[in-house]
Amino acid sequence: MSWASSAVIIAGKDLRLEMRTRDVIASVGLFVLLVVVTASFAFPTSGEGREGVAAGVLWMAFLFAALLGMGRSMAIEKEDGCLEGLMLSPAARESIFLGKLLANLGFTWAVEVVILPVFVVLLQLAPGSGLVLLALCALLGTLGLVTVGTLFAAMAVHTRGREAILPLLVMPVSVPVMIAAVKTSEAALTGAWSSGATSWLLLMVGYDALFLLVALATFPHVMEE
Amino acid sequence: MSVETEATGHVDDTQDDVQVAPPSGRRRLFGILTLVLTPILLVMAMLYAPEDLAQGPAQRIFYIHVPSAWIGFLAFFVVFVSSIAFLATGKRKYDDTAAASAEVGVIFTTGVMITGPLWGRPVWGVYWTWDPRLTSFLMLWLIYLSYIVLRGYVPDPARRARFSAVLGIVGFFDVPIVYLSVRWWRSEHPLQLVFQRGGLPAEMLVTLLVGVATFTFMYLYLLSLRTRTGRLRERSDEEVAQ
Repeated sequence: MSWASSAVIIAGKDLRLEMRTRDVIASVGLFVLLVVVTASFAFPTSGEGREGVAAGVLWMAFLFAALLGMGRSMAIEKEDGCLEGLMLSPAARESIFLGKLLANLGFTWAVEVVILPVFVVLLQLAPGSGLVLLALCALLGTLGLVTVGTLFAAMAVHTRGREAILPLLVMPVSVPVMIAAVKTSEAALTGAWSSGATSWLLLMVGYDALFLLVALATFPHVMEE
Repeated sequence: MSVETEATGHVDDTQDDVQVAPPSGRRRLFGILTLVLTPILLVMAMLYAPEDLAQGPAQRIFYIHVPSAWIGFLAFFVVFVSSIAFLATGKRKYDDTAAASAEVGVIFTTGVMITGPLWGRPVWGVYWTWDPRLTSFLMLWLIYLSYIVLRGYVPDPARRARFSAVLGIVGFFDVPIVYLSVRWWRSEHPLQLVFQRGGLPAEMLVTLLVGVATFTFMYLYLLSLRTRTGRLRERSDEEVAQ
């Protein structure tokens, strides 16, 4: 069995589990909706320059969604010795990482797809032609967050703090992605694909590629027993 | 392999299968050099170096601020290299070095975060500005603070070593990207130049170099001391557990 098919099987397991319990989508989806609603009260989301605020709110919500989802997906593995089972399986450590990464990407993208239209309506935005850029930005930005997040979630699950530790690890390291994603989303929400947006997309591609490699190289050490 | 000769030292390094830290003789030398150089640096920074025309006496903090920043970077680079060495070899001494270097690096960069605003207030008129250099330094500091917090939250020593090595590697790779992204982020607001370089008077340069030497020896001394303290604490934990 190739490493790719092992990864797909592991991701499929997580997604099937989610389809049956709907744990993550329900709780994280509602949480993200609440973040967006609360932020609408906390920030000026109407008038001039509201696209900038909206882009920031959107990515704070996405970051929380990713953090919650990744923490949950690793916590499930910790229960009933599932992690040991995974490690005893013939799947390579890299395949386990890719499988968890794919599953986390699936959850987070699903939450984003659900929340984005609600967000656009609630904040009275009109992205129009910027929607393609926004989608591209969500794909690349989320990939970056989830890549470092999946690596760190596998570490955080073994710490005393668990839920508290994951954000502490992910947030400082993911600042470049957050800046790039917020800037690109702002451009997208104002409906303009500027040359600046292209540079930010490239920065995200670079970040994603670099940390995918670093995570693949270091994850086997995280999973060592 | 060195022998601990202090009367109070209950530990004989020769009994170790792994060397506890750099030889205590060298550590003492680093300590003495730091002790001698620190007052010299202070006198040079206060009296020898000429006063900056534009910035006045506030500029003198430069002789502490800049060496702390440089040696802070060095400390985090040592964390990075030791982390790779640990994952490659599994030898505990590399983890000890990484942990000690991160702690000392955080102390130095905290010094930078304190002395910077003290200088910024009289010269820029503000304690803080979201300048790329300042912002990426803040992120660097936060990353290594999280490194230290992570170490405190993993009870199992083998796991702690592996996890923190991973963060030591990821964090170091992140720094250049943070710098790049913050520069682009701020690019629409051109800011004044932080340092107008070129033509630093000889007295200032000499004082700066003495500062760098002082902080290098201080780093080596603290690194050696922290490595040894960490090692001794681990051993006492093991003995308690037995």
